[in-house]
Amino acid sequence: MVKPMIDLKLLGVLALMVVGSACADLVSDAFRFGLAGAPANLDPRFATDATSDRINRLLYDRLVDFNDAFEPVPSLADWEQLSPTHYRFHLKTKKHPFHDGTVLTASDVKATYDFVLNPANASPHRAALAVIDRIVARNKTSLDFVLHRPEPLFPGYLVIGIVPARLIAARHPFHEHPVGSGPFAFLARPDETRLHLIRIRDQRRFEFIAVPDPTVRALKLMAGEIDMLQNDLPPELTGYLENDPRLKVQRTSGTNFSYLGFSFEDAVTGQALVRRAIAHAIDRQEIILYVLGSAARPAQSLLPPEHWAGARDLKPIPYDPEEARALLRRAGYSPDHPARIVYKTSSDPFRIRLATILQRQLQQIGIAVNLRSYDWGTFYGDIKAGRFQMYSLAWVGIQTPDIFDYVFHSESVPPRGANRGRFHSTRADAFIDRARTAPNLAAKRRWYVQLQHHLADALPYVPLWYEDHIFIARREIEGFTVARDGNYDGLAQVRRSSPDAP
Amino acid sequence: MFVRFLIARILAAFAVVLGVVCLVFFLLHLVPGDPVEVMLGESARPADKLALERALGLDQPLHVQLGRYLTSLSRFDLGTSLYSKRPIRDLLLERLPATVELGVTALVAALLLAVPLGILAAVKKGTAWDAGAMGIALFGVSIPNFWMGPMLILVGALWLGWFPVSGREGVTSLVLPALTLGTALAAILSRMIRSAMLEVMNEDFMRTARGKGLAERTVILRHGLRNVLLPVITLVGLQLGALLSGAVITETVFSWPGIGSLVVEAIHRRDYPVVQATVLCISASYVMLNVLTDLAYAWIDPRVRTGAQP
Repeated sequence: MVKPMIDLKLLGVLALMVVGSACADLVSDAFRFGLAGAPANLDPRFATDATSDRINRLLYDRLVDFNDAFEPVPSLADWEQLSPTHYRFHLKTKKHPFHDGTVLTASDVKATYDFVLNPANASPHRAALAVIDRIVARNKTSLDFVLHRPEPLFPGYLVIGIVPARLIAARHPFHEHPVGSGPFAFLARPDETRLHLIRIRDQRRFEFIAVPDPTVRALKLMAGEIDMLQNDLPPELTGYLENDPRLKVQRTSGTNFSYLGFSFEDAVTGQALVRRAIAHAIDRQEIILYVLGSAARPAQSLLPPEHWAGARDLKPIPYDPEEARALLRRAGYSPDHPARIVYKTSSDPFRIRLATILQRQLQQIGIAVNLRSYDWGTFYGDIKAGRFQMYSLAWVGIQTPDIFDYVFHSESVPPRGANRGRFHSTRADAFIDRARTAPNLAAKRRWYVQLQHHLADALPYVPLWYEDHIFIARREIEGFTVARDGNYDGLAQVRRSSPDAP
Repeated sequence: MFVRFLIARILAAFAVVLGVVCLVFFLLHLVPGDPVEVMLGESARPADKLALERALGLDQPLHVQLGRYLTSLSRFDLGTSLYSKRPIRDLLLERLPATVELGVTALVAALLLAVPLGILAAVKKGTAWDAGAMGIALFGVSIPNFWMGPMLILVGALWLGWFPVSGREGVTSLVLPALTLGTALAAILSRMIRSAMLEVMNEDFMRTARGKGLAERTVILRHGLRNVLLPVITLVGLQLGALLSGAVITETVFSWPGIGSLVVEAIHRRDYPVVQATVLCISASYVMLNVLTDLAYAWIDPRVRTGAQP
């Protein structure tokens, strides 16, 4: 008889050892915030994803911020424009030093931006700051930015978190141990999915926990394992949580712009009549009410109306299936000879669900839509290469109107820009060129508003909606203000209402 | 003889890992998506993209890139994450303990479930106990982890409040993911133990044990189970590799910070060096466990290493 290699008792001991080794790192008194994904990079010079950007806003101060109208406003510094290509920034009296105790000076600002501008460092923010010719620190509290060309939007580009020059020189790993001067300081990152910060003003701990599965994230909130979360939940889950008496939901209008894009090189979608028919065929209100759970508002342009460069007089395209059918007939299509369109979207289940609803609505006016969903990389690769007739996507985090140059100028066809539909309009180009060279924001606004009216006629995009930001928290959580761009700045004011909490 | 067998198995394992490395390298270069664009963003200037491509060696022919990658691997240099800029070796070392912890616990849970169920089914063959035990096994093997996980959360965390919903936060947080991951293995093992036990029950040594007047419980556990465990160990060795590599869904559902969730995140972010290194790590651990199982088997049964018919 062969002796077995293991014993059942041994198994039991092994089980106890494994269980005993499990990590127990609870921060019981901390505020716990559920995230859909972990912040990828805590170094503001490299971070590009929305979660990292929102966390980095808590850790680092920046020279400039935006108000509710997306106008650049002073944050760390006031500025004056000495000439069209020369800006002088004056650092405000700092409330907080860097988290390592050193004082933030103009040299730190210069070092941060010099680092980003150095091609050897491969910062993804370099392209946006390419307008900078040189930076001169005049003294500890003031510095000059000299530009290659006039750019009235320039202050709005200075939103990168400032890091200490001394640590830049020492090649400090900010992505692992962030050192900023924001209202929160880094405590620990036990693993990639958990991040511990401390709020400097009252030493309260905050734990950010990545829970990728939305259902599990909602269950954690219901079970009290997290105190709050924001966005990234399907509408039906939001509705379910809204009915839970232990929770409360706060919403604010967002600016993330969902749209349908078209190929102008295609025989069907290249026709203005077909695009307008599609625009009239979509019942946005119905989709917003029944599918998005009223967590969106109809869009009329890439920039929302409250944006300083937004076209406030522009109205969303009305749902009018009769008009849509008439337009299709004028374009030469009929029930016997329907327009056929291949509609590409990502493999995200919610996006596919939306796409099938749009497919149905377009079918009702006589457009045969062949829906194809792809893995994100394939889908995005096809869109950039112009391999599509129609697709749906969203622009996220738009703050400055130079996005129009990037998206609609005829010279911005990929790889030079994001004019993916190969939209060529001399009028649009002229508006964009004039806006680009306009001497001030008021003049820029005039051209951008005219441009948006032209785009509403030409319809390179059919605007769909701006999705809301939704914050859901345990009922005892108070003081959070939901930001229009979805940032987490409201955490600076969060508190618990229970009497024993400070 | 054993040393020759050992060397042959290690060389074969090395060839398999090398094959996996090359396959993953070429597959990732076929997948749409550009690492340079991941790093610099879509709006980067062509000149910057070109410069970074040169700096990363991505402008070189594919075979040159593969040669460089293999050279780096030989120095245990797995590269740096495109996204987080952290050394991949650190990321793996951070995540691997969580995966091993979950995999081993799931295995233990599977054994604790499978052994009693399998024995019960064999001893009570043809009765309701047998049908019930095998019904549970069928249930376990049929339910996918992405459904089992949320159901266990609903019952164990929300209704009963015994365990945390997700995360790696203390001893109790291991229970639900380990059960989710271990259930399918428990089902396979229990069916195997049942059939092996049924074979063993009528062997001569079992009759002898009974003839000596030993209690049925002792006969089953001391004589029957010991003989059944040998094929079980083989299966467990192979399945442990599967547990370590197949925890992707379970780790995602339970936000378990292991290499399964790391590879999912890396794929979403098009962080190719991390995907490459994680797949390499998974395949290496799988191959290593297979080799260890082979060696254990050869050590126990000399006929395996001599090639004689068992």
